[in-house]
Amino acid sequence: MNYSNSYSCKLLWLLAAWTLSLSTAKAEEVGSRWGTEEREREYYPIVNIPIPQNLVIEAGAFCVLPDGRVAVGTRHGEIYLVSGIDKKRPTPTYHLYATGLDEIFGLAYKDGAFYVTQSCELTKVTDTKKNGKADRFETISDAWGYANYHEYAFGSKFDEKGNLHVALGLSNSYDSFALFRGFIMKVTPDGKTQALASGLRSPGGIGYNEHGALFYVESQGPWNCSCSLRAVTPGSFQGHPASSNWYKYAPEMGQVPTMPKSGSRIVIEKERVKQLVPYAVIFPYIRMGRSITGFVVDRTKGKFGPFEDQIFVGDYTLSIIMRATTEQVNGVWQGACYPFREGLSTGILNLTFTPEGNLLSGGTNRGWPVRGIKPFALERLEWNGKIPFEIIRINIEPNGFKIAFTKPVDAATGNDPKSYQISTFTHPYHGGYGGPEIEQTTPIVKTAKISEDGMSATLVLDKLIRGHVYDFDLGKLRARDKDTLLHRKAYYTVNEVPAAK
Amino acid sequence: MKGSIGTFLATLLVALFTWPCSAAPVVPGLSNKHPLSDSQKGELLLGELRCIACHGRKGAPAPLEKIAPDLSDVGSRVAPDYLRRFIASPSASHSGTTMPDLLTAETVDQRTKIANAITHFLVAGSPRKFQYEAIEEVSEGKALFHSVGCIACHSPRDETGKEVTREGVVDLGHVTAKYSPLSLGDFLFQPLSVRLSGRMPDMKLTRGEAKAIASYLLRKADKKFAPLQTRDELVTFGKKYYQQFNCAACHKLRDIPAAAVVGDLQDANLERGCLAKTPGKAPHFNFSNDQIKAIRIALAKRPDPISDQTQLATTLTAFNCIACHVRDKFGGVAEERNLLFQSDAKNFGDDARIPPPLTLVGAKLQPVALKKVLFDADSVRPYMFTRMPQYGEPNLRHLPELFSRLDKVEEVKFSMPNSESPNKKERERAQEMREAGRKLLGNTSLNCVICHNFNGKTPQYNGVELLTTTQRLQPSWFYHYLCSPNTFRPRTVMPTAWPDGQAVDKTVLNGDTHRQIEAIWYFLSLGTSAPNPSGVENIETKLFVTDATRTYRGRSSVAGYRGIAVGFPEKLSYAFNAETGTLSAIWRGDFVRVDRGGQGSGGFHPASKHVALAQDVSFYTLENEKTPWPLRPVMNKDQRENPDPLYPKNRGYQFKGYYMDDASIPTFMYRSGEIEIEDRSTAETGSEKGRLLRNLMFNAPKAQSIWFRALTGKVEVESKQQFKNSELRLSIPPTQALVRPTSTDKSVSELLLKLEIPQGKSKLSFTYELLK
Repeated sequence: MNYSNSYSCKLLWLLAAWTLSLSTAKAEEVGSRWGTEEREREYYPIVNIPIPQNLVIEAGAFCVLPDGRVAVGTRHGEIYLVSGIDKKRPTPTYHLYATGLDEIFGLAYKDGAFYVTQSCELTKVTDTKKNGKADRFETISDAWGYANYHEYAFGSKFDEKGNLHVALGLSNSYDSFALFRGFIMKVTPDGKTQALASGLRSPGGIGYNEHGALFYVESQGPWNCSCSLRAVTPGSFQGHPASSNWYKYAPEMGQVPTMPKSGSRIVIEKERVKQLVPYAVIFPYIRMGRSITGFVVDRTKGKFGPFEDQIFVGDYTLSIIMRATTEQVNGVWQGACYPFREGLSTGILNLTFTPEGNLLSGGTNRGWPVRGIKPFALERLEWNGKIPFEIIRINIEPNGFKIAFTKPVDAATGNDPKSYQISTFTHPYHGGYGGPEIEQTTPIVKTAKISEDGMSATLVLDKLIRGHVYDFDLGKLRARDKDTLLHRKAYYTVNEVPAAK
Repeated sequence: MKGSIGTFLATLLVALFTWPCSAAPVVPGLSNKHPLSDSQKGELLLGELRCIACHGRKGAPAPLEKIAPDLSDVGSRVAPDYLRRFIASPSASHSGTTMPDLLTAETVDQRTKIANAITHFLVAGSPRKFQYEAIEEVSEGKALFHSVGCIACHSPRDETGKEVTREGVVDLGHVTAKYSPLSLGDFLFQPLSVRLSGRMPDMKLTRGEAKAIASYLLRKADKKFAPLQTRDELVTFGKKYYQQFNCAACHKLRDIPAAAVVGDLQDANLERGCLAKTPGKAPHFNFSNDQIKAIRIALAKRPDPISDQTQLATTLTAFNCIACHVRDKFGGVAEERNLLFQSDAKNFGDDARIPPPLTLVGAKLQPVALKKVLFDADSVRPYMFTRMPQYGEPNLRHLPELFSRLDKVEEVKFSMPNSESPNKKERERAQEMREAGRKLLGNTSLNCVICHNFNGKTPQYNGVELLTTTQRLQPSWFYHYLCSPNTFRPRTVMPTAWPDGQAVDKTVLNGDTHRQIEAIWYFLSLGTSAPNPSGVENIETKLFVTDATRTYRGRSSVAGYRGIAVGFPEKLSYAFNAETGTLSAIWRGDFVRVDRGGQGSGGFHPASKHVALAQDVSFYTLENEKTPWPLRPVMNKDQRENPDPLYPKNRGYQFKGYYMDDASIPTFMYRSGEIEIEDRSTAETGSEKGRLLRNLMFNAPKAQSIWFRALTGKVEVESKQQFKNSELRLSIPPTQALVRPTSTDKSVSELLLKLEIPQGKSKLSFTYELLK
């Protein structure tokens, strides 16, 4: 939307934009399924959290309060305080705490106040009269432009120093027309706003990884052939050059990044563009989500099963939840992603762990293609105590990988290199919208060795290629109890290879 | 205590006297149109009555067993008096119970003693105590009881609350003595937590609904419940009896072991023991002759391995699925209950009110969809009042597989196109199929959307959501069903669009039946991104103001992206551009329409005709009267990047938020230079014209002047304190006013007020009056 002077002009423009968006709205296929839903529900059943008929709760952000209630911020700009989500048979109560805000995609809580990232600003919301209704909405930061259709803002929780972080989407897929669109801003406890990173395209969530480092979720599109989890370091450039025009307003960011060469590779460009940080975890497009969104780390101390201290991340289009693990190698973040659960009812926008250690998800399905057909839903994933046979995590080694499992692997399949089918690919790093998987290789697994307890396997490969995604298919493995893997696939992004010890 | 024992004895005597009249154990499925032979019926009874809990049966496959209720907290659930009577004589207390009488060999005195001791034992072991709490009868209770599905196994009730059916149903005459409204409500809310067998299923009631039904069932309850003070010596005896009578064989309780199983039923004398005409010491089940006959037939032959057919038939009977569902030639709603099955979609006929047939259900539903309905409380028919109960996953885990093994339809293959194929022909095929599917569903072709929901939108009726199709159904079944709905659902109102395999609409895909159905399948597989077929429209949302002022933030053509709309109950509204600190629109009538369809981010637009004001910054310290007003940067097609991205922060403005008073009226807070401003507007009441009263409260560290751009347009001066343009009259406090042409358009003028702000707090009031 632009601001021309005549109102009628504006209205015409608005109508035109509206019609345009309708006529160009293109149906897209949402991709095939993993086909594991039936088995997943044997371990992680989904419990629908009923929503009263008169409420529309398109959850965009969650925050668990000290008293155990779960605050839900919605796209309709409301905050509900929900109690009873963990009840075996939930019939929660929804208390409307605040209304009239603008699309909430960030909710943090401190000393009786909510810190709400809404599209227009970061706002401190308080109930000064203590009557259960918010009555004071103070602007904490609006130090960025907000003037174009696609400009969403995602907010983090507090870091240990009390900072909040706001990830600002571009004006559209290609451009940054308003100040700091495509930046991550840090808001300090004394209310100062600083630019922290640039080069974003369309963030879907921002938070901290399992080691406490700041990460955000990036969507497939220009300069991003797949969705990814990305590490945010001060002054970093995240790869989409549209936002470089605002460096003059952010001296703290230093030099403007060199323009990356479209069609190159990320490993090559990161040598040229010194601020460029590579994708930490690539989620191969469609196989692992089409628009990944909010993420959360499992700190339930085992209440949610064998994946403690891992990242759980949702996907809007496919209505699925995946896992991810990260590690730092030679000072660069990288890691793997794993399928976890499909068959949720709506497009997932965000996740949180509840006080009882269940995983609460919510979202909406309007506007973009979504597999789950409910217009909105809250659903709880709970672990029923049974251990699925799963890959827990993959870590890189100087000559290969170490893979940890939830159950002991039998020696016959575990020590057979043929049980580990591995292929690799990379993406072009380019300004086109999305892009193919290219330069595929099939590395040779020279040896595979199961640990004595059977809980992990060490693989030695003929070579490790930086900048490639390693696609693991372990469908031939069997657990000692003859179980097959619930999910046979995993994908590790190699940015760096550790030196031999 | 004594009194209650006395009453109890008297009741017991009466009960014993009437005993022969009480009914045989009821398995409700057996009174419906079930498919079981006598021998299969006998097998079913062996499981429903838990014969195997005490007896061995060599070589027999594990029967479908009905697990007995969990007694670990029975003392809080069941009134102690009832518990005592029930243990002493189960069938006399609850006609038709499946609990056998274990005390037949005892004297009346001894029975009393044993029942009393066991009651003390059970109550003492319960963590919570039975409480009676009267509740008001809730009017919905009766309707719920008769509509959600309770009457599939229980009797409907007449106006006076009397059960009208006597035979084959689970009698509820005893509940008034057994439960308190509180404990019955809790039980109905989560029956599976104490009755793991699932024979009393979870009806997906909310807590409120469970309470309402409890209040209806207990409205005639005797409200004098005596609390039980347990006595240690009786508790000890009770535990001893619990073991002696092997209660733990069925009711597992803490660490009490069950006795070893005795004998082998296969070699047993079927004229003796429990099956004898007059059982001696054996448990007395109060069998009917028919039941004894069935059990004897079952036990007379060597047990066979259970076939899929038999297991399915037994399951559907044991859980009484057949009370509501037809499968092949059995099951279905009984005539006398038929009219209790209701819906709010009368136009759909019986399809809307009678649960769907289970014939071929294993070929119809995707396995995971079936599991969602059976185990995850999923439901797809919002118009049907009867609910699909939840029986507990452990009880029916075998059922989906059974259906899928038994049910087959002729396979039909759909060839799904790849819309992102490098092959142009393939992409065109995808395009063609998408358009064909969309066309067929819409109101210019088959008009499926007139009855069915599409992507949550209800054009006219509320039929099963079309977008669930590819997730719920199997393609082959879908194909056959569309070709001939009546074969699958006799008398369905679903029309046939391909009678005898011939397409009714010949204009789409050359009238090729296979290709048309394939295209519909493909189109529906697109999910929520499938564009609306013709006849389905997006819904626009209108927000209303009722009794309190309403504040709503969102992008708006009348207030910028950082826009805020404020609506008063007086039917007057205004918009505030928070990015520039400007009152930017006023209107009378309805509040706002918001864009919440599709990708809409909730942007607002006045719901009635509005007066627009300028949206540039309102306060600024002009150097002199010639200095142009600092206007917003203009972005347009040629200049899309903001050329002045810090505006108006670089003109001294900063928005600081707002707070609400008790009437929810917001006061905006912002700063211009070093002056803090609070900006609060209210609607003037009782005025025919819309009048907005705006109070500006200033807080300045020192006395200073600041310019306020109060009005733009064709500004006319009516008096020193009154100005108007073509749509609006503005009244101002006494101050210096300057009307001058705007810097960009000389035909338009702006009214600038030079406000003298004293040190500290001060206030100025303005009135905006709509002229039309």
